[in-house]
Amino acid sequence: MAVYTQLLVRRYLSTRIIPLIAVAAVGLCVALVVIVVSVMSGFLDNLRASGRTLMGDVVISYPVQGIPYYKEFIADVLKLPGAAAATPLVDTYGLLRMPYPGGPNKDVVTAQVWAIEPETFSQVTELDRTIWWKPAASPQEALAMAEDDPRRQQDLSGLYEDAKVLRERATDRPGALLGMHVSIVNQRQRDGSYRPRNSMWWMPNHEITVTLVPISEKGTVSQSNSRVFKVVNEVMSGVFQVDKNRVFIPLKEGQELLRLDEAPIVDTTAVPDASGNYPVIGTSPARATQILVRAKEGVTPDELRVQVAEAYEQFYLQKSADESVRTRPPAAEYVSIMTWEQRLRDLIAPVEKERQMMRILFSITYLVCAGLILAIFWSIVSEKTRDIGILRAIGASRMGVLWIFLRYGLTIGMVGSGVGIALAWLVIRNINAIHMALGNDAPPWLYVTFFLLAAGSAALTVRALTRSRILSVLLWTVATLALVGIGTGLVLHRGFLIWDPAVYYFATIPSEMDWGNAWITAVGAIVFSVLGAAVPAARAADIDPVRALRYE
Amino acid sequence: MTMHPHSTPPHAAEGVLLSACDVVRTYRMGRVEVPVLKNASIDVKPGEWVAILGSSGSGKSTLLHLLGGLDRADSGTVTFRGEHVGGYSQSRLDRYRNEHIGFVFQFYHLLPELNVLENTLLPATIGIGRFEWMRRQGEIRDRARMLLERFGLSHRFRHRPAELSGGERQRVAIARALMHNPDVLLADEPTGNLDAKTGDTILDMIAEQHRAGLTVVMVTHDQWIAARADRTVHLVDGRVA
Repeated sequence: MAVYTQLLVRRYLSTRIIPLIAVAAVGLCVALVVIVVSVMSGFLDNLRASGRTLMGDVVISYPVQGIPYYKEFIADVLKLPGAAAATPLVDTYGLLRMPYPGGPNKDVVTAQVWAIEPETFSQVTELDRTIWWKPAASPQEALAMAEDDPRRQQDLSGLYEDAKVLRERATDRPGALLGMHVSIVNQRQRDGSYRPRNSMWWMPNHEITVTLVPISEKGTVSQSNSRVFKVVNEVMSGVFQVDKNRVFIPLKEGQELLRLDEAPIVDTTAVPDASGNYPVIGTSPARATQILVRAKEGVTPDELRVQVAEAYEQFYLQKSADESVRTRPPAAEYVSIMTWEQRLRDLIAPVEKERQMMRILFSITYLVCAGLILAIFWSIVSEKTRDIGILRAIGASRMGVLWIFLRYGLTIGMVGSGVGIALAWLVIRNINAIHMALGNDAPPWLYVTFFLLAAGSAALTVRALTRSRILSVLLWTVATLALVGIGTGLVLHRGFLIWDPAVYYFATIPSEMDWGNAWITAVGAIVFSVLGAAVPAARAADIDPVRALRYE
Repeated sequence: MTMHPHSTPPHAAEGVLLSACDVVRTYRMGRVEVPVLKNASIDVKPGEWVAILGSSGSGKSTLLHLLGGLDRADSGTVTFRGEHVGGYSQSRLDRYRNEHIGFVFQFYHLLPELNVLENTLLPATIGIGRFEWMRRQGEIRDRARMLLERFGLSHRFRHRPAELSGGERQRVAIARALMHNPDVLLADEPTGNLDAKTGDTILDMIAEQHRAGLTVVMVTHDQWIAARADRTVHLVDGRVA
């Protein structure tokens, strides 16, 4: 292509305001799409990552009554080619009697209680990573921690070791791990750290009483059981609902409280002995309501799920065929065997749909870009009609003229997309800081600056008025009003949180750029910019040079 | 001067560089057809300076446009070096305008976004591809500077047309027209927008180029200006008088 097209496009871009408006419009459209979709993609990624780290790859679930002989089944699962680790757990809802306030009337809260085997549970999930009170990993972290929560300056290695075995090792008492937001003590700061609301009630110094209600095979509620646990540590998974509700206790204690532990079976039809006890005729095995399995590297959750389902079928058939087994495991069709993604389907699917919908809705902005560029270029071509005639007189071809305007649209699309991606990147990287700034009152220097700018703008309005420049008077008046409006808005602004972690599942807004989506958006904006420029460009190419030269 | 108001095309006429023979051009103004040229003919020899004299609306600019390949005749022929310009393909016609013709207009017609040097370079940037431009850029820029210096514009290279006087703009337009060493300079009222003194300067410049061997066809309605040409063709109501 000839050199003049490049030269003219450069000059048309750099010497005029209108194309800059088009660049800004394309940039804003691109930034809008990229920011919204990136945040939603980040949310989905967090959801997926948390799902996997909190529950492993495959979950076998038979709530309330639980799966008997789970240890044997876990042994079978561990023989599977795709399974790396497996762990049993008992999950239920219960009541926690908190140590506060002082006096006999303590707070009682409901919680989701997970009774776990900490060693195997850590192999399947990332419990270790989520333990909050632990010694610093590096001197830098120790320094950061020293400036952070004062509680973190003490020696936390004991708490950390206790958390890993879910037991207070010094006294061998059973321990409990509380979600970070279960108690009222930890107050999240805007920078993500925590400060104690009341140091006296720092949970690892206290005990809680866990009350669970066993449910019989008939589905009736039995006598509730309570037990005191020493809080050995707290966990922070980053998923607000988990951190707000979940409590971990040792599996053995959980089974005992729910009467899912191993127990003798007595013959109540027989004659009791002298002490009134019926004869023991067997043993009811301990049960787990869930078994979590982690896949080996390179094995997908779906592949593992198929293997686990087959293993369970075998396990069931084997136990059913064994005459000596009194308590049969539930048949495979009654047991839920799902991947973590399937378990979170009700959460993931709506977000995926929302993201898709957002993409479609925001894609309309492409049409806005194309329409805007078409309108701007139509006016530019009208204005440049004589230039087109001059170029044709000097020997420029129709294709050359067409290419000038297509290239102009292409450049606006490319520059606009670049600006949009850079803007989106800046916003996404700092989205939590921006959110935090919105959450605070506006600093005085900011609104004072706006008022000073408004004063300057007002002075220019007066100057324009004395010179009888109507357009200038209008523009400076609008600018003054806008600046006063922004300044007043900032004075009246009281911090508010848009992203409430209680509503949005995660404690922080995802701040990772979805680059794949960003490039697709940029390419889309460029294509639509060129399409918007195509009609005026074709019109320019069709202009009769003689008429163009006579154009006034 | 040779005129062929109703004769056969002088394609084979010896020593003719550019000619129009019996050209007819009618424009449509809404529903009305306005005949502008009615079987007009003109021959231009190499190195000749021909003035086309006529009143407003006589069709002189239209004839210039036909000679320069900017427009096509409804009938009749335009020939350049014996070749039928009307038979050129669109791309060949674009090349014809770029390589063989230099246009100078009454209203200068410079591109306002480009500076003086860039306006002068325009025919070269249109006529050659990127690789040739990269190879010959220095030589081409030197020629543009040389032309502008010769026309007294060495201090105006970086200025935009809006910063120049009318005379300076027309000098830039002539430099642009000469950039590609054209065979014919087609000037449409080149002094029509200038005061008498500046107009004389412009005519002196054109005369200088003519003396150097350039063929010039100039349209004017002023017989004193036409008098500077080698010969004058009178155009009255679309016909050569």
